[in-house]
Amino acid sequence: MMNKYKKILSGLVMGLIGSTTIVSAEEIALDGSTTVGPIAKAFAEYYMAKSPDVNVTVSESGSGNGAKSLMNGVCDIASMSRFMKSSEFKAAAEKGIMPVAHAVAMDGLPVLVHPSNPVSDLTVEQVRKIYMGEINNWSQVGGPDREIVVVSRDTNSGTYETFYGLIMTHEVDGKKVKEKIMNGAEYVGSNGAVRQRVQNTLSAIGYAGLGFVDRSVKALNINGVYPDRGTVASGKYPIARPLYFFTDGYPKLGSHVYSFVTIHLTEEGQEIVEDIGFVPVTQY
Amino acid sequence: MRLETRKLLDKSFSGLGLFAILIMSGALLVILAPIFKRGAEALFFEGTVEHRRMLLDKFERGNRAVLEEEIARVKAVRQPIYDILDRFEDEQTHKLNEIIRACEDLGNSEGSFGKRIKRRLNRLERAETFYDRLKIVRDISLRAEKYNGPVADLKHKAKVITELVSQLETQKEPFFQLKEILHELLGPAPGEDLPVLIRKQYGQSRWDRAQVKLHLFFNVETWDYSDPSKMGQLSYTPRVEQFRGTVLEELFPYVEQNQKELLEPRWTFYWGFLTDKSMDAHMFGGIMPEVLGTVYLTLGAIIFSVPIGIIAAIYLTEYTRGGYMVSFLRSCISTLAGVPSIVFGLFGLAFFINTVQVSSSKSVLAGSLTLALLVLPTIIRASEEAIKAVPQTYKSAALSLGAGKWHTVLTVVLPSALPGILTGIVISMGRAAGETAPIIFTAAVSVMGALYNPIEALSHPTYALSWNIFNLSTEHEAVDEIRHVQFGMVMVLVMIVLLLNLTAIIVRARISKKLQT
Repeated sequence: MMNKYKKILSGLVMGLIGSTTIVSAEEIALDGSTTVGPIAKAFAEYYMAKSPDVNVTVSESGSGNGAKSLMNGVCDIASMSRFMKSSEFKAAAEKGIMPVAHAVAMDGLPVLVHPSNPVSDLTVEQVRKIYMGEINNWSQVGGPDREIVVVSRDTNSGTYETFYGLIMTHEVDGKKVKEKIMNGAEYVGSNGAVRQRVQNTLSAIGYAGLGFVDRSVKALNINGVYPDRGTVASGKYPIARPLYFFTDGYPKLGSHVYSFVTIHLTEEGQEIVEDIGFVPVTQY
Repeated sequence: MRLETRKLLDKSFSGLGLFAILIMSGALLVILAPIFKRGAEALFFEGTVEHRRMLLDKFERGNRAVLEEEIARVKAVRQPIYDILDRFEDEQTHKLNEIIRACEDLGNSEGSFGKRIKRRLNRLERAETFYDRLKIVRDISLRAEKYNGPVADLKHKAKVITELVSQLETQKEPFFQLKEILHELLGPAPGEDLPVLIRKQYGQSRWDRAQVKLHLFFNVETWDYSDPSKMGQLSYTPRVEQFRGTVLEELFPYVEQNQKELLEPRWTFYWGFLTDKSMDAHMFGGIMPEVLGTVYLTLGAIIFSVPIGIIAAIYLTEYTRGGYMVSFLRSCISTLAGVPSIVFGLFGLAFFINTVQVSSSKSVLAGSLTLALLVLPTIIRASEEAIKAVPQTYKSAALSLGAGKWHTVLTVVLPSALPGILTGIVISMGRAAGETAPIIFTAAVSVMGALYNPIEALSHPTYALSWNIFNLSTEHEAVDEIRHVQFGMVMVLVMIVLLLNLTAIIVRARISKKLQT
């Protein structure tokens, strides 16, 4: 009886070993932003299809974690949707790591509402007041009488930092004032979760990366400008930012990491960036 | 209490119990039924010719000769669509040429006005695309509208031109949208460059998704915001309205009549869902790497936790004599069982990866060790209970026959406690397979390349069902396109856990039977 089990078990193990081929591949590990995630994943699959002897792994745990991973030396490339903070630079330099930024794409931060919401224009001022809690009903901005459900990204994300820097920070009498996001705001952990929350909640407002906008949500005009490829690339849309890959020093020319962080400069790379819904940094 | 009252109470109590069981099984049904129904859709669905084309291209599966015949057939049905699009573009160009001729007419008028128009007309030669030329013409007509010279009907002519130009312009955006939807539905048009992204290389591979796209093809979603005090109302207007009076009108009835012939949907059992790797972030392909990763992590967790767990249980039950230290240890173990799993995940990152550095980055080893810590308390408690349940007489008999303590534990206590211990182990396996939080920072990634054999996998990160389900549902950029994959993954995970529990029951029954004889 036991013999039979042993046979089955050893068969299983042999099967597992046999089903996978032994490859000793060079590895590139990416960690970081969930916004850059779709680009990183598509680049990874594209790169592995082109050079099968390289294994690219992509994790999405947020820009802040990406920076930490780069500092701790557990990833080769940190994908980030914001620039590194001075504190992160300092911590990295102390560990002997010199972060170098490669801007791979441009991204706008569309402000999203449910498609049934009649409001389609807001100013930066109005968005700030909504997130501060000063405007708490859609009727105050020309919509129906409904309380606004404010959805924000978690504070570890680069998307939050960008939004905070561009919307919540403003100048009053020549001084920079950082406003606080209202207490009742919902914080969610990813771009997809923001979209999901907005598409299921009639009176919600949220913000996410350009690549995450589809028919199920409505992007608003901000200061009269609709977020699309043209307005983001030209800087007309007020909430825009580049997306980065950070490496430790500039990668050795000709290395796989070098080829990987320059994919976005090739024609194929630009096509991928555009097809996923982001804006290429170069014009072709 | 009278007998009748007692009986009544008894009955009502068993009725309540029955009711509770009914509710529980109802809840189970409500949860499991949709998972299995929608999960099965990942395996059984009406696959279109695009699905078969993808299988042949990417996985070299299917009969090439038959498929080529099929593709040729479909191509023949699709060709008229592209012909109509071409004719529409020709028609547009023709209209533009007429407008340009009218502009040239304006340019022939006397004086500096005519010269200015002519200079603008010269720019047409350098304009590359249709829309560039349209823009130049619009500039001309707008300029001409401001004309206040002697020629009588020039202003009127200019207005007519502007009218014609704006007609062409209003069709620009709808035409792009139409082409976009056709691309989503049927894949790249003939003669178009092959896109780099795999999801753009094919049309809809599933008939249910294709029907969604077809609906969008025939209808335009419009929101009625006429009353700003209410939420807007969704309404669909036929897309054909946008192209009234153009050749594109013919396109819609043609597609309507040939819906099925365009994609040739056929019931498919896609077993590759369980054995293929994913293509282009799960747009196509299967979930084999995820299943394999889950198996590695679970087995790893069990290999690390079981020996330690059983030894700890033996020590706690057989070798200690009670006392503060032991009850302190026991409460520590209970506390460990109550620690949230994300804490284990962060501990795993801080301890196994950053401090001990069992691997250079995330790895199956680090993930298994973290999961092992998570399930350790369960295994210890289950083993302890099982060992305690072994009758004292067994031990006494062994000891009286001259066996040492260690010998007794090994040959008498452990075998009779085995069913209980095994149950504990298998339940822990179910837990380890389903946990997400401990592996987020220690093992799981959303994309990686090669699959590894168990030994190599230890030092590499891995996919895992639980994490990838979470990743797909919250972070995938096109999650609505691939709901079936998500449900398929959930179904497989639930089945793995159910299978493990079933194994536990069977093994337990077998061993108990063997022990009795």
